[in-house]
Amino acid sequence: MKHTFKNLPKLTAMIIAGGLMVACTDDPTPNPNPNPDPDAEGRWITVAAARMGDNPGDGNGGTLIYSINSEEAKDPTVSIAPFDNGFIVPSNRTARLQSSEDGNTMFNISYAGDTGGNYTKYTVGGGQTFTQSGTAVSIAPYVGSAPRWVKLFDGDNTGAAVYVSTEDIFDDNGTPSDATDDTYVRTESTMGVVTLDLVNSTINEFQESIVSLTEEEEANGYYISRIDMPTLNAAGDKLYIGARVSKVDPATGESDNSGEILNSKTIVLDYPSLVNPTVISSAVGQGDTNGYRSINSFEYNGSVYQANQGDPEGSHILKIDANNQYDDSYVFNLDAALGVEDAYILAWRPAANGKAVVAYRDASSEEGVAGAQGFFALVDLNTKTGQRIDDIPYEADFYLFQYQGFVVEGTEIYLTQAPVGKNGNIYVVETETGEVTKGAQLENVAGSHYIGLF
Amino acid sequence: MMKKVFTSIFFSICLYTSFLSYAQTGIVSGKLTFEDGQPVAFATVFITSINKHSLSDELGSYTIEAVPYGKYMAQVSSLEIEKKEFEIESTVASKPITTVLKRSSHTDLDEVSVIGESYKTQVEKSGFAVNIIDTKEASLRNIQTNELLNTTVGVKIRQNGGLGSEVNYSLNGLSGNAVRIFIDGIPISAYGNSFNLNSIPPSMIKEIEVYKGVVPGHLADDALGGAINIVLQNSTQSSFNASVSYGSFNTLQASVNGLYRFKESGFTVKGSLFHNYSDNDYEVSGRSVVVTGIGGVQTPVTARRFNDAYRSSGGMLQIGYTDVKWADQFLVGFTRSSDYKEIQHGAFMTITPYKDRFMESDAMLMNLTYQKNNLFVKGLDVNINGLYGKRNRMVSDTVAWAYSWNGERAIDFKGNEYKYTWGSQQEGGPTLAKINRNVSSIRTGISYTISKNHRFMANHVYSGIDRVDSDELRSVLENTFQGTRDLQKNIISLTYELNAFDEKLKANVFGKYYQQNTVNIDPEINEETNEIVDEVTSANTENEGYGFTLSYAVLPTITLLTSAEKAVRLPNESEVFGNDGDNVVANPSIRPELSNNINLGFRLGTYHLNRHDFTFSSNLFTRNIKDRIGLPIETSSNVNDETILYENQGNGTSKGFDAQLDYTYNNNFGFNFNVSRFDLKIVNRGVEIDVPNTPFFTMNGSLRYSFKDLIQKDSRLNLFYTMYFTDEFSYLVPQGSNTVGDEFFKVPQQLAQDLGLSYVFPSNKLVMSFDVKNIFDQAVYDNLSVQKPGRAFYLKLNYRINNY
Repeated sequence: MKHTFKNLPKLTAMIIAGGLMVACTDDPTPNPNPNPDPDAEGRWITVAAARMGDNPGDGNGGTLIYSINSEEAKDPTVSIAPFDNGFIVPSNRTARLQSSEDGNTMFNISYAGDTGGNYTKYTVGGGQTFTQSGTAVSIAPYVGSAPRWVKLFDGDNTGAAVYVSTEDIFDDNGTPSDATDDTYVRTESTMGVVTLDLVNSTINEFQESIVSLTEEEEANGYYISRIDMPTLNAAGDKLYIGARVSKVDPATGESDNSGEILNSKTIVLDYPSLVNPTVISSAVGQGDTNGYRSINSFEYNGSVYQANQGDPEGSHILKIDANNQYDDSYVFNLDAALGVEDAYILAWRPAANGKAVVAYRDASSEEGVAGAQGFFALVDLNTKTGQRIDDIPYEADFYLFQYQGFVVEGTEIYLTQAPVGKNGNIYVVETETGEVTKGAQLENVAGSHYIGLF
Repeated sequence: MMKKVFTSIFFSICLYTSFLSYAQTGIVSGKLTFEDGQPVAFATVFITSINKHSLSDELGSYTIEAVPYGKYMAQVSSLEIEKKEFEIESTVASKPITTVLKRSSHTDLDEVSVIGESYKTQVEKSGFAVNIIDTKEASLRNIQTNELLNTTVGVKIRQNGGLGSEVNYSLNGLSGNAVRIFIDGIPISAYGNSFNLNSIPPSMIKEIEVYKGVVPGHLADDALGGAINIVLQNSTQSSFNASVSYGSFNTLQASVNGLYRFKESGFTVKGSLFHNYSDNDYEVSGRSVVVTGIGGVQTPVTARRFNDAYRSSGGMLQIGYTDVKWADQFLVGFTRSSDYKEIQHGAFMTITPYKDRFMESDAMLMNLTYQKNNLFVKGLDVNINGLYGKRNRMVSDTVAWAYSWNGERAIDFKGNEYKYTWGSQQEGGPTLAKINRNVSSIRTGISYTISKNHRFMANHVYSGIDRVDSDELRSVLENTFQGTRDLQKNIISLTYELNAFDEKLKANVFGKYYQQNTVNIDPEINEETNEIVDEVTSANTENEGYGFTLSYAVLPTITLLTSAEKAVRLPNESEVFGNDGDNVVANPSIRPELSNNINLGFRLGTYHLNRHDFTFSSNLFTRNIKDRIGLPIETSSNVNDETILYENQGNGTSKGFDAQLDYTYNNNFGFNFNVSRFDLKIVNRGVEIDVPNTPFFTMNGSLRYSFKDLIQKDSRLNLFYTMYFTDEFSYLVPQGSNTVGDEFFKVPQQLAQDLGLSYVFPSNKLVMSFDVKNIFDQAVYDNLSVQKPGRAFYLKLNYRINNY
């Protein structure tokens, strides 16, 4: 200690040098972009990885993306390490990513933080190269700084984001100061919907409207508390928005978890004007239709197929017909199709042939480090059948709750598989035959996971 | 501060020991002058036989308290004078005496023998990892209390904007709930926002004690990472001072403090008033400071903050008796304070700045102080400090119109002014949320000194908060069913102090017992009677902690210091009972956070070489936190639950070091430098990560130079320079070796520099100071995008009378 004291300037220099050394990175990887030229035949596959924040599997430590071509994606000898070599998407919390259908452009709207609500797009250049294009635009003024958005399948022209705010309405019986005769009337949900021109980076339209349930449902304290996953119908004249219904106790105005779960509901809006909201209700499924982070409903063959969550009978895939009403004759229950209990659809994606890959959990899921274990299944929207894909390895820490992206190339669907903190692979499912190909290896780091492909 | 630094002879206060002290004591006072009538400042007056000392002030006046009646020989010494002995007498009403002294013929520093230490030095050598911040100099300058703390080694302030904005304190990497703040040993939670380090002027503060990791028994609270104790002025000498400061951003700060003591009766009146105001309309720019036009097109601008004004005012009045037979201090008083703070944005600066969102708070508190040394028997000291009152807080956010960074109404993509869907500035809806609290806190300390070597201390702190929440914008029915929260804490500590081998070895062993009772009253409808009944649930938490400190002076200038504590932080009311607004529900079985804190340090100095004086100290520390409290991650199983609850999650560690150098030359040049560095990691479910958004490397430096008689005779001009360095840090966890896009998350390296001067007019009553903050107008941040003020100028006038 005395020695240190005598060499104070040296100590200070060491301290400063120490600080600088920490600031510098070491161990650079020689070539972050192993193949800068995209394969002329294939398309870019962008892998998304979510680094751990302060809890394993929370994905709050940054969303990293890294692109390879589809040939490399299918090659199990290729190994990629987005956590070391990726591009960190500018988003304070897990980014909600979308990509163009050809894979050449990534769309991002920053989630929370100082730039929350900012839309940016990137031209995919392979590896860690993502070149920002277009001007800055933010949807935060309309739908807040943590927007729930997806792209509409209209040729990558439009994105839509939604917001709902609620207010409890009471009747004071003409005596504002006397609480004893006050009665609960309803909880009013005000919905904001914004559409964004993805090509020109400008706002297309914004509308605000009040969405109501039936009088009886409202009198019992039910209201729409969360909305998400706007989907365009086949005619392109209606927007379907998934909804979650919550309940208050009309006697006290406090939230009530004990109520019965209502039938699944969807808000139907005119498009592109975003006016005239109505609420349609399924007689088949119960629970929420707002999904979580990945697109929850898709147009196929003239109808929109929608997954539901939190269904006491297990998740259903519901069908909304061209008449913009639920088709209650279409009953596709995942429990029944897979022969499992408490199936819960976490993410899914159909190919053009009506066959889809579903990420789900069920009663058999083990409790892993970040929650319930996930599985993949191959299902058929036409035959309403499905089976678990057993060529993909599963383990307790394999968790799919934050799963966001699948890539569809013809009848093939690409997906990522990696348990929290462990290496995994890209898998390619040939939906016609059910054949599964193990693709490129995904290198992982502690507490982190992969959230899909774009 | 500067007085002390170069005082030729240090004096010693045997703080905790008191000899030959009997029930009948008096006060002796007097004045020291040179033969020409000039005052002899900073000379030690020492009554050898009873081991009592005093130091003369700038006017040559000194006072020695609690002197048993009788005649004594007093010795007076200073470099400037020749040593002299004279007789003084303590009687019921001792008269001040004037002693004339001869100027010394030699002032060679080599011949000075160090006979004692200042209070600051003594505390800093006691074994704790502690810093004592003297506010004397700062109170004359344009310096906020928070700025003063920020230059203290190991302390980092994170402030969300300018004057009055929310502050988070970090001690050696531990922050938030882990750091407890006290005013005279009373937890600051009793005072609320309106009476805190943002509003209390440095002139009301005697000193600030910063205890890192290991907290002494007299600061009894569940301080996991350390404690900051603000010691208010407690001198019993009649004095008066007033100051007013004005500067950039329409910042006005005024304060008046006074104390008058009737010498005959000991009746004392003490009062202080403060007022602070700032528009905080400083310029900001950056990636979120834009104006949005048609289609959503963004144009970056440099904007002035327009909804960030701050006002706080308050005062304290105390009356009672001081230095009387039955009490050293007995004061009852009243504290009243209020503040108003506009809120420009949330945690981040975004493209949607707030308009007319503000917070108001006020406090009305009765207080009581009783302090008596040698009560009943010699060596038994008693100290009681209590307060009771109300404090209220209100947040208002009712404007639905969107505003732009230019301060005007914002336009939407079509060019129309618009309102937010959520009906308020902050997402979440309009609010007029009020929290009314009844607070009470009483601190009792008893210490018994058996001999010079042994002392026992017992301390108890009770604090109670009854909290009622309401919101005018919610219906009466909803407000009726809103729960109320009561929290009561009792913390008892026992301390044994050992002082051995001629004061070379100092040890302190303590145990703390924590008990907290939280009560939740939730009105419900009884299903059968259909009446509203209160559902009362309560949770009781008990815990123990313990620790020790040890210091050993190998040589008078080399002291080794070590301390350790098993520290506890009890879960707060939200963590136990949740928070209706955030859908967090009760978890009565949640456990306290625990931390094993260890400090290992040394202090070298003060060395005197010719006219150079220097001190160097350093401390290595580790904090090992267990059972950190946090919210669980969202999973498919809980995403649809309406509610979540706090849980004990994992462990954390902070390791690092602090180092500090003080150097002075010939009483007119001073240099201070400190550096602090640490690593903060947490472990959750077996995975260790570095905690992001933490400035882990900071340095502060300051220079001071004094000129005497430069402009006028007997005047003093001081020049000051201060620099603050914070290394780059990221608010994202560390990424891989070759990632790109990292810079988006980085808070760049920052270096801010201040210049100041103060001029002490010859009368010594008037001091004028001028300060330039952030002279190079650097962008300074606490969080990325939350910019702090650029270059700013302040002028201050102080007027003081130290002795009537």
